[in-house]
Amino acid sequence: MSCPLQTEETDLLLDYSAGRLDAVRAAALAHHMETCPDCASFRMEQKTVWDALDAWEPAPVSMDFNRRLWQRIEAAAAVPWYQSLAESLRFANWKPVVPLTAAILVIAAGFLLDHPRAKNNPAPGVSVTEANQVEQTLDDIQLLDQLDAVIPAGAVKSKSM
Amino acid sequence: MVQGVNTIVGAAPALDLDAQLMLRVRDGDEHSFGVLLEKHRNPVIHFVYRMVQDRAIAEELSQEVFLRVYRSRETYEPTARFTTWLFRIATHLALNWLRDGRKERGHQRLDATRDLEKDGEMPAREVSDRKPSVEQRMVYETTLREVREAIALLPEKQRAAVLMHKYEEMDYSQIANVLECSESAVKSLLFRAYESLRARLAHMVTGETR
Repeated sequence: MSCPLQTEETDLLLDYSAGRLDAVRAAALAHHMETCPDCASFRMEQKTVWDALDAWEPAPVSMDFNRRLWQRIEAAAAVPWYQSLAESLRFANWKPVVPLTAAILVIAAGFLLDHPRAKNNPAPGVSVTEANQVEQTLDDIQLLDQLDAVIPAGAVKSKSM
Repeated sequence: MVQGVNTIVGAAPALDLDAQLMLRVRDGDEHSFGVLLEKHRNPVIHFVYRMVQDRAIAEELSQEVFLRVYRSRETYEPTARFTTWLFRIATHLALNWLRDGRKERGHQRLDATRDLEKDGEMPAREVSDRKPSVEQRMVYETTLREVREAIALLPEKQRAAVLMHKYEEMDYSQIANVLECSESAVKSLLFRAYESLRARLAHMVTGETR
């Protein structure tokens, strides 16, 4: 058997230490470790870790865990959809959203700076005041024409002299 | 988001019993949910507890795990082993909690002199007829404290991988499915995690292990 440490098959040593290696490979590895001090040392250290982790027994579960869960399930069924959505978002990890939002804002700002909005050029048009003035002028011209027609040019000249 | 993971985990070879129960829950059988809860409650709570190292938080997060399972019942598709899906939700919630900055509060509790009995961490063997001596008790508490600290110092993903490998006895492919990475990545995570633990706990080598 080739050395697991040299062939980067350390999972074999982990599995051996955990007692999860099949009998054939376990026997081969045990035989190899008789002549490989590195693997033997690895296995001994790993067993130490394994035994130490065994010491960590978890705390017992609260007696009313199930009751509280069923209460939450019943309460969840009664709340409106938007509240249950907010509740589920409570446990979401928002940290990745911050840089993403910042990146979107920077891109949007860059786009706006690069493509400034066209200035509001008002469409050529005539204001109400201007229209009234033009109409007034046309009326005046028409009135003068009518006066010219009624009063002969000579009469106007003799009066003025 | 975690809620939708039930449909995207890798393909399962066969419908396991838990998945069948979950399908019954989908069809409105609440009793089957109770069976699933009884079966997986302790493993989930213990896993989350070892992740966050706070009993109250562990129970709160575990409640959220089962609540999400129940809420997802109508859209549940047995595309993976039920436990893979369950532990994926549990891992997401625990990692989110740790990454959310709330871990500092947890570590403050960890660093403080902890009342292990209050937290219920004294082993069951204490209840037996032969009470441990004061010295045995002190050795146990020291060992436990060192183990907890060594685990807490691991990067979060390595921690999750070690806990699933050691305590839930998951194989590499199932851990890979839970953590959404390749098997080789899991082997790498575990190798680095156990390497750190070996370095931190090497002084515990006793005559028995030699």
